[in-house]
Amino acid sequence: MTRFLFVVPPLVGHTNPLVGVADELTRRGHRVAWAGYPDQIRRLAGEDTEVFETQMPDAGLTRGPKLTGPAAFQFLWEEFFFPLAGLMAPGVDAAVREFGPDVIVSDQHAVAGALVAERHGIPYVTSVTTSAELTDPLSSMPKVEAWLQGLFRSLREQFGDPEHSTDPRYSPHGIVAFTGRALLGDTPLPNDHVQLVGPAIAPRAAQSGFPFAELDPQRRKVLVTLGTANVDAGERFLGEAVTALDGLRETVQGIVVDPGGLLAERPGGIPSSVLVREYVPQLDLLPHLDAVVCHGGHNTVCESLYHGVPLVLAPIRDDQPIVSGQVVDAGAGIRVRFNRVDAPRLAKAIESVLDPSEGYKAAAEAAAGSFRSAGGVTAAADHLDSVAARTANVQAAG
Amino acid sequence: MTTDATGFATAKSPLGTDAGAVLADIAGMLRELLEEYGLDDAEITRETTFHEDLELESIDLVALSGTLREHYGNRVNFAEFVADLELDQIIELTVGQLVDHVVASLRATEAS
Repeated sequence: MTRFLFVVPPLVGHTNPLVGVADELTRRGHRVAWAGYPDQIRRLAGEDTEVFETQMPDAGLTRGPKLTGPAAFQFLWEEFFFPLAGLMAPGVDAAVREFGPDVIVSDQHAVAGALVAERHGIPYVTSVTTSAELTDPLSSMPKVEAWLQGLFRSLREQFGDPEHSTDPRYSPHGIVAFTGRALLGDTPLPNDHVQLVGPAIAPRAAQSGFPFAELDPQRRKVLVTLGTANVDAGERFLGEAVTALDGLRETVQGIVVDPGGLLAERPGGIPSSVLVREYVPQLDLLPHLDAVVCHGGHNTVCESLYHGVPLVLAPIRDDQPIVSGQVVDAGAGIRVRFNRVDAPRLAKAIESVLDPSEGYKAAAEAAAGSFRSAGGVTAAADHLDSVAARTANVQAAG
Repeated sequence: MTTDATGFATAKSPLGTDAGAVLADIAGMLRELLEEYGLDDAEITRETTFHEDLELESIDLVALSGTLREHYGNRVNFAEFVADLELDQIIELTVGQLVDHVVASLRATEAS
């Protein structure tokens, strides 16, 4: 039996892939506890999940639609991940002392997990939930990379082991990446310990019913979603999407996810041809879908491709432009501009990905094959098992 | 020695080394890049910023870097130019700064 401590930021997309892995490890007789934001972790992983609370920022990660590009990158690290590490570190440290983990699994962006692990001399595995952060996006901007490493250095002095110099986003002990070659192409990986397991497709806690009976077998089904972290940015885009879908209503049934209720103010209301929901059970819905229009969030992209569903991508910021570019390179989607695209252009993109003769569907099917063979949560659990076994051997020998 | 005499000129347009001609060239490249995404009406001046005004991402800058190389050959190294910038400078980067860099690069190779 191995004791694993999972350290995650308060972000759904970073937590969801690990939920299935935690279940699989528990099934194998290991013990898993989490450190982070208890309400969110229990909502995603189940009410009886063992969670050590850490401090969290007062506000979530909210940014308007215009904060994009390198300014969004600066904000994300300087105003969110960097202070988050400082807030979380004492709680992670307390969790380590109380729970006594053999291995720590730390999300790539919950830097506190990596640094506290290294201070205690506990092996840690990085959990990577985006293909973008494996491609060294800053290689062409050395001064920006140096700035980021400066942030890591100051965190390491406070919470880590200053004798170490590895990048806390890439553990030397092992990396589990919930992505695959379908997106990465032949990009070189940051070190030799990366396990590409593909998306973690595992049952999730049911949250609300979806009217599956309302799905029309005569029409193609198209889902529009901007994920869980962009609720505040989507009003204009969702409005254009509803107009585009209404225009295609003869052949297309549109389903629009609107968690922020942004469409309530839409002039003219919501046309009856389009289904608008606050929440959808995305994994249950995907087998019914013919196309997904999204922001290029890594989880939505991978889950769609896993089901062979082609994409229209409107990246907003962060890793989304890179992930979207990878989908376009794979031939499985079309990129549009989030802040500019209008209903006619969006409708044209949707029609293109739905048209089998244009090849997007075939490319999405190819990506599905590649992802399905990557192993998912089982491969992730195998990798964690092997890191734990290696550690135990070293301790037994030493 | 002029660029015409060395045969560097492309079929599309002779390579001007004055700032006005370079601005027109770069604005043309940017319009072509942006048209794919539905931003074909953008006014492009020296003061236009890449990120806030044109909403270009770093991967778009990589594409622009390729277009610049096609147009000017090895005399203009945009990647090197970007590599020398701090994050704040990248955020504020304007078309005028790129124009000045291209003009300086072209003049430097002409002089040598």
